[in-house]
Amino acid sequence: MAADEDNKEQVLKECEQTEEVMKDKQNQKLISEITKENIQLKEEIQKLEAELQETARTSQINEDIPETKIKFTSMENPESDSEFSNISYSCQVSSKVPYELQKGQALITFEKEEVAQNVIRMERHHVQVQNENVMLMANPVPLHSGVKFQVHVAVSKMKINVTDIPDELPESQMRDKLELSFSKSRNGGGEVEYVEYDKQTRSALIAFVESGVADRILKMKDYPLYINQNCHRVTVSPYTETHLKKFQVFSGVTKRTVLLTGLKDLQTTDEEAVEDFVSIHFQREKNGGGEVEVVKCSLGQPHTAYFEEETDGIYEN
Amino acid sequence: MSALQALQEEQARLKIRLQELQELQRNLRDCPQDKVPFPVPESPLVFRGHFQEGKATAKSVVSHVRICYPLPGGSALVTFDDPNVAKQVLQQKEHQINVEGFRLRVQVQPLELPVLTSIQVSSRKNDQRVLVSGFPAELKLSEEELLDKLEIFFGKTKNGGGDVEMRELLQGGVMLGFTEDGVAQHLCQMGQFTVPLGKQQSCLTVSPYMSGKIQKAEVRPQPVPQSVLVLNIPDVLDSPELQDILEIHFQKPTRGGGEVEAVTVVPPGQRGLAVFTSKSG
Repeated sequence: MAADEDNKEQVLKECEQTEEVMKDKQNQKLISEITKENIQLKEEIQKLEAELQETARTSQINEDIPETKIKFTSMENPESDSEFSNISYSCQVSSKVPYELQKGQALITFEKEEVAQNVIRMERHHVQVQNENVMLMANPVPLHSGVKFQVHVAVSKMKINVTDIPDELPESQMRDKLELSFSKSRNGGGEVEYVEYDKQTRSALIAFVESGVADRILKMKDYPLYINQNCHRVTVSPYTETHLKKFQVFSGVTKRTVLLTGLKDLQTTDEEAVEDFVSIHFQREKNGGGEVEVVKCSLGQPHTAYFEEETDGIYEN
Repeated sequence: MSALQALQEEQARLKIRLQELQELQRNLRDCPQDKVPFPVPESPLVFRGHFQEGKATAKSVVSHVRICYPLPGGSALVTFDDPNVAKQVLQQKEHQINVEGFRLRVQVQPLELPVLTSIQVSSRKNDQRVLVSGFPAELKLSEEELLDKLEIFFGKTKNGGGDVEMRELLQGGVMLGFTEDGVAQHLCQMGQFTVPLGKQQSCLTVSPYMSGKIQKAEVRPQPVPQSVLVLNIPDVLDSPELQDILEIHFQKPTRGGGEVEAVTVVPPGQRGLAVFTSKSG
């Protein structure tokens, strides 16, 4: 009987062991399946990101803004507390709508709208370019749409962002350590109004009671955070809020610029010379023209011309 | 088990990311920047000679830069004609100003202002907003009056509208945002409306609205080379006198100073907002 019992136990154990082995095998299979799937997903994501980058290049606003000269204009009285606790920046951004000039095309901008409309109305123009007689067709320029908007940025004088916070303590304790360290005036800190701490991103927002503390701390790249006996340097950066206002898509229409076609079969490739001839021709009233502002043509490589808004200061505030 | 769990969690994250990207791609495909499938207001454009070799890339003009910088009481802003003079003045952190027998000790600091150095904005059709356009040219309403009248009209379900959540005056029309789904779409389908605007009835058009979203914005400090901040001015003189005294002090070549373009003082106990603008604006 005991032998039977032993046998049973042995069989049971063996069953359990095979079960374990099977489970392990199943796990391994699952793990390798999921790993494969994840690799595929990552590839798809990379492909999409690259595609979107490409579209982003042409279909959205993606601009590095060159430095503009800024000068003091006036001193005003801040109306509210919020005006005093931020440095505020605003500007207008407006797309320059592109037009790809094909070989044989030219753009001509006249000073007066009536002249441009007249040139378009006349449609055909016989122009002498170097030793050749060409017939140019005049049409309005077909333009796509653009966008314009205002950007408003508020840089806080009372709050700062803190990052690279070590993930060593539970949330509530770390929040306290942050408040303590940032209150120490000997390190440049000041009385803290509140702390928002995000353990997952290892970052925090610190709001001070008085203005001036944030500026002082931001002059340094990092700040000492004391955790028990150790001192960690955490990174500090300005707290900014950015938003758009008056966002609008517009369709571009030109009133003063005309599209000329018919230069494709010219012998010469000297674009500047051709532009001069065209300009001279259209300056003459007897040719239906008038004062010319600019001419640009393409005789070989495609060029992209950028159209800007006619008027400045569209938004009356 | 934990290796399996980690992989499963990663897969969940990857799937979410993939969905985000697919939606972004769908939006871009449905409403590419250059082919908006519904009417939008016109804006007159002109070619001024700006061209580039090769294919088109996104370009824009930035203008009307305006920066408001708060100044505490007991401070002043001194702007020199020559930025080199400002640089010289800044070589000393502390300046002693002699006034009728006593000395004022003040601190000087360079001025840096935050400026936008790069911006990336994407646009997509906003299903809760519409653009109202077609206003008569001789409309004699103020901005506030116009927005109120439109909000009243389009806030009524009997007109096909609903609760208005936001409103904004744009160059080509007015943008209205609704709290409930479906209202915007319904109004766009109806298309034309006769709206009482003051003494007249105007025929207005309602069309879809594309809204913008900031994908990335970079703000960096830019120095103002001609200006200098003067801080911690002791409270011993009246404002007009202080202004003169500062001007005199900072004009002295012996003190490293030079021609002063402007001096503005913020008296102690008050607060000031210094406004800076860009040349073209």
